[in-house]
Amino acid sequence: MMASGDSRPGLLAGDGIGARLARHSLWLIALALIAIPLADLEILSRDPWAELGRMALGLALPDLGAIETPLQAIGLTVAVAFWGTLSGVVLGLPLALVYSRSRWVRAASAGVRAVHELFWALLFLQVFGLSALTALAALAIPYAGIFAKVYAEILEQTPRAAQEALPEGTSRLARLAYTELPLAFAQLAAYTRYRFECALRASVLLGFVGLPTLGYQLESAFREGRYHEAGALLWLFYALIATLPWWAHRRLLLPLGIASVTLLGPWPEIDGGLLWRFVSQDIWPRALLTGDISGLVDWLMGLPALVTAVANTLLLGLLGTVGALLIALALWPLASRHFGNPLTRGAGRGILILLRSTPELMLAFIFLLLLGPSLLPAWLALALHNGALIAFLVSRHAHAIEPGMAGLPASGRLAYELLPRVYPGMLALVYYRAEVILRESALLGMLGVATLGDIIDDAFQMLMFDVAFALLVVTALLNILVDALARRLRPCEPPIDDPCLR
Amino acid sequence: MSQGPKDTASMSEAVDFTGLSLDGEDLGHGQQIVLRDVRLRLEPGQRVALLGESGAGKSTLLATLRQRLGAHAAWCPQHHGLVPQLSVYHNVYMGRLEHHSALANLWNLVRPLASCWKDITALCQALGLDGLARRPVGRLSGGQRQRVAIARALYQQRPVFIGDEPVASVDPHQAMSLLDRIDAQHTTTVMALHQRELALSHFDRVWGLADGRLVLDAPSHNLSLADLDALYPSATAAPDASAITSESAIP
Amino acid sequence: MRSLASLTSLLAIATAGLIGLPSVAAADTFRFTAIPDEDESRLVERFSKVADYLSDTLEVDVEYVPVKSYGAAVTAFRNDQVQLAWFGGLSGVQARRLVPGSQALAQGVEDAAFETYFLAHASTGLEPADTLPDSIEGKTFTFGAKTSTSGRLMPEHYLRERFDAAPEELFTRVGFSGDHSRTIALVEAGTYDIGAVNFKVWDAALANGDVDTDKVDVIWSTPSYPDYQWTLRGDADETFGAGFTDRVRQALLSMDDPELLESFPRSGFIPADNDMYAPIESVAENLGLLR
Repeated sequence: MMASGDSRPGLLAGDGIGARLARHSLWLIALALIAIPLADLEILSRDPWAELGRMALGLALPDLGAIETPLQAIGLTVAVAFWGTLSGVVLGLPLALVYSRSRWVRAASAGVRAVHELFWALLFLQVFGLSALTALAALAIPYAGIFAKVYAEILEQTPRAAQEALPEGTSRLARLAYTELPLAFAQLAAYTRYRFECALRASVLLGFVGLPTLGYQLESAFREGRYHEAGALLWLFYALIATLPWWAHRRLLLPLGIASVTLLGPWPEIDGGLLWRFVSQDIWPRALLTGDISGLVDWLMGLPALVTAVANTLLLGLLGTVGALLIALALWPLASRHFGNPLTRGAGRGILILLRSTPELMLAFIFLLLLGPSLLPAWLALALHNGALIAFLVSRHAHAIEPGMAGLPASGRLAYELLPRVYPGMLALVYYRAEVILRESALLGMLGVATLGDIIDDAFQMLMFDVAFALLVVTALLNILVDALARRLRPCEPPIDDPCLR
Repeated sequence: MSQGPKDTASMSEAVDFTGLSLDGEDLGHGQQIVLRDVRLRLEPGQRVALLGESGAGKSTLLATLRQRLGAHAAWCPQHHGLVPQLSVYHNVYMGRLEHHSALANLWNLVRPLASCWKDITALCQALGLDGLARRPVGRLSGGQRQRVAIARALYQQRPVFIGDEPVASVDPHQAMSLLDRIDAQHTTTVMALHQRELALSHFDRVWGLADGRLVLDAPSHNLSLADLDALYPSATAAPDASAITSESAIP
Repeated sequence: MRSLASLTSLLAIATAGLIGLPSVAAADTFRFTAIPDEDESRLVERFSKVADYLSDTLEVDVEYVPVKSYGAAVTAFRNDQVQLAWFGGLSGVQARRLVPGSQALAQGVEDAAFETYFLAHASTGLEPADTLPDSIEGKTFTFGAKTSTSGRLMPEHYLRERFDAAPEELFTRVGFSGDHSRTIALVEAGTYDIGAVNFKVWDAALANGDVDTDKVDVIWSTPSYPDYQWTLRGDADETFGAGFTDRVRQALLSMDDPELLESFPRSGFIPADNDMYAPIESVAENLGLLR
């Protein structure tokens, strides 16, 4: 009888990291495969290829002249992103200082983070109307929650020696200003900068709910099939993102921000009574305010199609996450220096950057026009955008790896040298991303996909703010729940480090 | 004394310090005890050198003293504890943060307060940091940083100086002159050191730590370098250990 | 250190900016909007002409505010960001409920007897008829906007009346295209088998040659009902002077330039009042779109 240590291990058996993660990933993929039959993935349009051709033609031959007021739209997009981020900083930094000590602050910032910027915009639209205040609040509120968490984490990691050297009796503010802020400044600035990029994309998307940013015209042009104009707007958007390092230079930002203030007007006259009525009455079910329990039960039963919407949101979140993993696995070698030639790498990087820069909502919207409103376009959008983002980070991470064995064939290099080194971090990254994917899954409902966003949009359109608010709370709770679940399930390996994780 | 700013202020605060005793206490952080049964007395006017191997508990003892002494003690931590992004001026200023209002502290970051600027530049000059007040600490050499950390402690203007290897990264000659400055401005000093010669030449008393205990507490003039060697068992044992390994390596 | 100083000043300026600006209130400009019920290309351009006309007639500054959805039009009206709006039947009812005292001033000549056309893709084989055929069951169907009267409310009402079933039970898939132009495009492309569309938008698209009737055609039209109307806030006289409401009504009724009327598209405007929309209100309540 052979010693057990020498027997040939079974398929994917063993306790090694590789086998463990492979089993973990296969379970995940199996779960997604089981879920696929439950999802509505029908292609509804009869001739998506012709439409795709027309879109491609529009993108290839953009008509810049067709855009109405492009400068104003770009200006407003930048102004909203800048002032929205800054307001988020102003609100979030004080919260970061008490973040670790206050359970309420942690819960509140988790709550506001869990609701997408566009949902916030829909909510603020009801009280501030179509104004810059709506746009700013829609960015500032969720970003305050994000900044509170991330700033707190960064500040916590600053070296303690300087703080301990301070004389006792030093005020909290002085401690912050003299030790923590300067020590952590570079990291805080880098993260704030990254958030500004996110704000820029979100600011564009605010056009989808009617604020006159770049997305407003983009949505109309695509929806009405004016693809040459849509192409021009899309290129304008990519140019804005790609030139960010130049125009968003440290020295330029302040004058830019101040100059853009004028674009934010006109400011709404805030009707205090209306605001108060909205906060104290409109968003709460009437039965709750009058203490009518049976009425409240009726109201709850009357919530439209909640179970289906939640199920579809979770389903799309799962499929999107697994899709992102597979897309990332397939795409990252395209941009990696370890494979191909300069031409393929250039093309690979280009594709990844393009997909990564295009927000999910915009991708989903375009796919939806091509394929019709099933879960399929939403799934494609989530998988492609997030997969490209992860692939981009992985290929950057792999850049630093020096293969130990020279002259291995590409497949061997991938399977023996690179994948074992990058995969653990990559899988962890996918788990981190699951929360974002779920939040987007809910949001994509606004396009007509049957997730939570669909019934939230219904409720807002019918001005049933109590229903809309309740559904937003459900969405936030679902997001927090899935985030907690992902934290439990994810493998313990540290993810590839990147600011976008937070 | 005459070169230091606000000498009279530091003297007036000195009046309060009447000595400090530890009577058989166990010291440590949280549940973990680092030093057992510590008995010692720090008299006003004493200059004490604290010796012991790294990990012997020097920092723990200093932290305890600093905590007990409260506002009497100026503090110069190990590895300086400076903020590299801030200027020399601001790092020194931090020694007296608690004396100014929050608004003054914030404004001082935007533009240095006139009187503080005058005091601190004078102090920098006296410590050989002339012309560096505006420079970020991150761009200074190791020796210069050391002096900034000492300047911050001096600027606190307190009667007792507690330092954790405050002259570790300067040459012996500079160390002497820095110690003179520290002595000139403080009535009482407790300093962790690793230069044994300096402990005997420049201090009244030596405390020695080994095996989690205070094993030496004697006036320095009664001690020889050989007495101090006993505090460093691994340094003396090291040649033996290496001898054994090198022997055993030969088959 | 300079970076920290500039951060501090940045925060100061930001705070000052955000606190200081909202007090700069807009002057008393008279603003109006229109529900985005069809393609909005050149919408600003077209409605700016209407704004010019109103400005000349009423002798106040008039501005057109574009919106992206029916809900946004109602919200803008409620928040007093617009004082006048060209609403659909249901959105008008919603708006007048939210802003007590507001009144329907005028409707299009065609709005007194408005209709919805049911369109079908040629591949369905459905033929025009006096009643909706049973064979539409099991097909796919799209409405227009979620709170459109002609694109959602009335077609759903007549569907339920005819089949005694919710649209979701009747069809294998029910969608909301968002506006009438998109409904025509979706049925023409075959994404949906059947769609419900505002008859004026269909007629206009047909006249412009924008539809291929080999692919999509009308199979049924609903009985008539009241629809679009101009609604003005009740506090308009307070803000713009006594008699302003009457002057706005007069300006609307006397609008006769075909180029302006084409924006709606209507042949002219006739008087309207709130009571005309009672049937819309009760249908909406029955369907749970109003409460």
